[in-house]
Amino acid sequence: MNVGQTFLTVGVALGLACASAVAVIVIAKLRRVRVGARAKAMLAPHRGALIVMASGEDEDGQALAALCAVPAPIWARLRSGVVAFLPKVRGVPAEDLGGLMRSHGEIDEARRMLTSRSAVGRARAAYLLGLVRDVDSVALVVTLLSDPAADVRMVAARALGTIGDPSAASGILQALRTSHGHIGLPAWVAAEALLAMGTEVGPALELGLTSSDPAVRNVCAVVAGHGTYFTAAPQLRILLVTDSDADVRASAAVALGRVGGAGDAALLARYAEASETTVLRRTCAAALGELGHRESLETLTGLLGDRDRRLAQLAADSLVRFGSDGIARLQEAAGTTTPGPNARAAGSALELAGLRGQLVSVPGS
Amino acid sequence: MMIWSGFLDGLRRVVSAIMDVVATPVLIYFLVINTLLLVLMGLAGWEFVHQGRRKSYAGREQTAASQLGQGVSVVVPAYNEEVVIVTSVQALLALRFGRHEVVVVDDGSTDATFEVLRGAFDLVPVQREIPSDVTTLGTIIDVHVPRDGRTRLVLVRKENSGRSDSINVGINAALEPLVVFIDADSILEPDALISVTKPFADDPTRVVAAGGVIRAINGCKVVDGRMVEVKLGKTWLVRIQVVEYLRAFMLGRSGWSRFGALILISGAFGMFRRDVLVEVGGLDPDSIGEDFELVMRIHRHMIRDHRDYRVQFVAEPVSWTEVPVTAKVLRSQRSRWHRGLWETLWKYRGMLLNPRYGKVGLVALPYYWVFELIAPVLEFVGFVLVALGFALGVVNTTYALMFMAVAYGYATLVTLVAMAIEELSFHKYPRWHDLGAILLASVLENLGYRQATAWWRLEGWWASLRGEKPVWGTMTRQGFDDDSPAVAALNGDQAMNASSRDV
Repeated sequence: MNVGQTFLTVGVALGLACASAVAVIVIAKLRRVRVGARAKAMLAPHRGALIVMASGEDEDGQALAALCAVPAPIWARLRSGVVAFLPKVRGVPAEDLGGLMRSHGEIDEARRMLTSRSAVGRARAAYLLGLVRDVDSVALVVTLLSDPAADVRMVAARALGTIGDPSAASGILQALRTSHGHIGLPAWVAAEALLAMGTEVGPALELGLTSSDPAVRNVCAVVAGHGTYFTAAPQLRILLVTDSDADVRASAAVALGRVGGAGDAALLARYAEASETTVLRRTCAAALGELGHRESLETLTGLLGDRDRRLAQLAADSLVRFGSDGIARLQEAAGTTTPGPNARAAGSALELAGLRGQLVSVPGS
Repeated sequence: MMIWSGFLDGLRRVVSAIMDVVATPVLIYFLVINTLLLVLMGLAGWEFVHQGRRKSYAGREQTAASQLGQGVSVVVPAYNEEVVIVTSVQALLALRFGRHEVVVVDDGSTDATFEVLRGAFDLVPVQREIPSDVTTLGTIIDVHVPRDGRTRLVLVRKENSGRSDSINVGINAALEPLVVFIDADSILEPDALISVTKPFADDPTRVVAAGGVIRAINGCKVVDGRMVEVKLGKTWLVRIQVVEYLRAFMLGRSGWSRFGALILISGAFGMFRRDVLVEVGGLDPDSIGEDFELVMRIHRHMIRDHRDYRVQFVAEPVSWTEVPVTAKVLRSQRSRWHRGLWETLWKYRGMLLNPRYGKVGLVALPYYWVFELIAPVLEFVGFVLVALGFALGVVNTTYALMFMAVAYGYATLVTLVAMAIEELSFHKYPRWHDLGAILLASVLENLGYRQATAWWRLEGWWASLRGEKPVWGTMTRQGFDDDSPAVAALNGDQAMNASSRDV
């Protein structure tokens, strides 16, 4: 074969490949249009019933009964619509939609799929069991917290949070650990799941605060703060003072701002000093405002002139949170005859407070 | 006559000799570059399948409602954007996301950008200080916030100092841990922030930057800052760019992301961790390829610091922006892009083939040097030689046509594969007419467009080598709420202190 023939052969092959690509595009579009139209026609008679159920207006249960009775081919297309509604509804509509899924064998199938070889299958199953808040599946879903696939671990954690069974708390904390090349759960996913489980996760949290893993301590500190677990305060103080991990110390400071007592003002003030890291100083300045103890007023006023201007802003915002006492301090700083950084930070915070209507109750403002 | 004839004979011999030497290497180069593009598309297709299967359990609702997830500061540099800025800010404030603020940096606009914003959002001046976490050039004039004190909008007015410096001011003003840069004329999908923060939410400790897909808004119908109908632009110049964006930006970058060596995130829509931006010093105001330069600097910084990190690309459609509608604007854009590419590659030449930089140094950078930087040289030289060969009668016409057919046929195949992946995954263009036009554009692209852009890219490179002053262009907006909103006219080449937009 000479060069010309080779080119001709390659050219023909390319032409055929191009034609195939065009055919794929056209067939894909045709198929999508046809499938979409067919699905629309099949679902049209049932759309109303589904909306009635999802909006909680199915008082006589007729819509549920009708949808429970749809044949398998229609259910196969209706299913995705039901799943799409589930995360958006609460209460009776959620229970009804869960019952509908159950009546079509979806829950049993999902439980079976939890051990599927496909990671996508396992994740979908866990997701569905979470959506329908299937308490009976908690033990099965917990096992997925050590799944080799990161996606599956994350979906399992979210599902357990949605189900809200506190018995899964320790499993979620375990899943935060990075081991064998598996990255642990993202902190916020674990924290939101634990918060969704309610106050009964308290014992697991207190244990977690003493964990050897900084990721676990960090999440426990976050949850202790957001969930206002006052009993965690002693351990949070220890973490703020002694922990080797910067994130843990910052989370402990935030949490102490929410659950700490009068004695913690001095502690937080200490870590807002210039010798500490920027992140910790800023966190402590904000936490002092959250804590709201009068003895912090001096510390926060002193921070208004700090070289770290973001810290100064946070200190000023914290003073606003104190109410009249803090605002008086700000007005004093802003009214100084020699405008400097203190005055600027104070003035800015006062302006914003004024716009937000936070100065109304303050005499002289 | 004898002399002319002798000259032509000599020229024929020279051209013939050159063609004998370069024909095969150029053909191989074409084959390799297109094969590599196919590999990248294969990786992108794999990524789309993976993302598509994840979509059903990705937890978008939880991410949107999350109060513990990371918040986002949307930084909008604005220079003479009076036509679009209000609609743009309204749309950005209305994005579906748990916690986000909008920071508009007015870069010394000479039109009514500030006045229209002040009127629309009832802005009042405040004394708010902007920290200097990142060094900036332009002096800040004042800061405004809405009178209600609660709408999360901040307007920072400053003296004109360019787009990059405006973004740096925005970084300083940003209060949230994630920062996204958006051009004022871009339209985001309502869930854009949810999509582009997903990599950060899934892997918050390692993901430091993420880029989102940018598509051409030209021809689309936009109402109140929302995309309501996706349509293809009316001119072939726009249609060809749509094809180009699909192939090179969406699929190419998705492929690099899947491979773990994404080195370019578009300046028109990129999200970064604020602390990392502060660590590396923000954008380089002197760089003409500031988006590429920033990502390269982040790579170098993280690798030198021995940190485990990720730079990812989100293939889901997130941002729609205007593309040039005239050859003049396109020329300016492509010239600027290639100049930025060259200057950044040269600046970071120490990373090239350096094992210390892993896939970035050993795979991505060599690819960009060989197949992005040098491509226009070979393409243009090849085109000139073939034209000369025809004119001088030293090439076999059939042979030459088959050569061209194979080279450009393969390029067309690559584009059609990209189209097929788009149709199987996102299928954003619903009209048959648009689909047909895109298919035709993928063929027409080879007839003049490629050659012209190759030349314009060479112009940019040459300008840099000669040390010419970098030139940005400015776009005159016609507003969003129009059937064909994306008309952009270049107001002549502006000096480099004018803000610009780029993709």
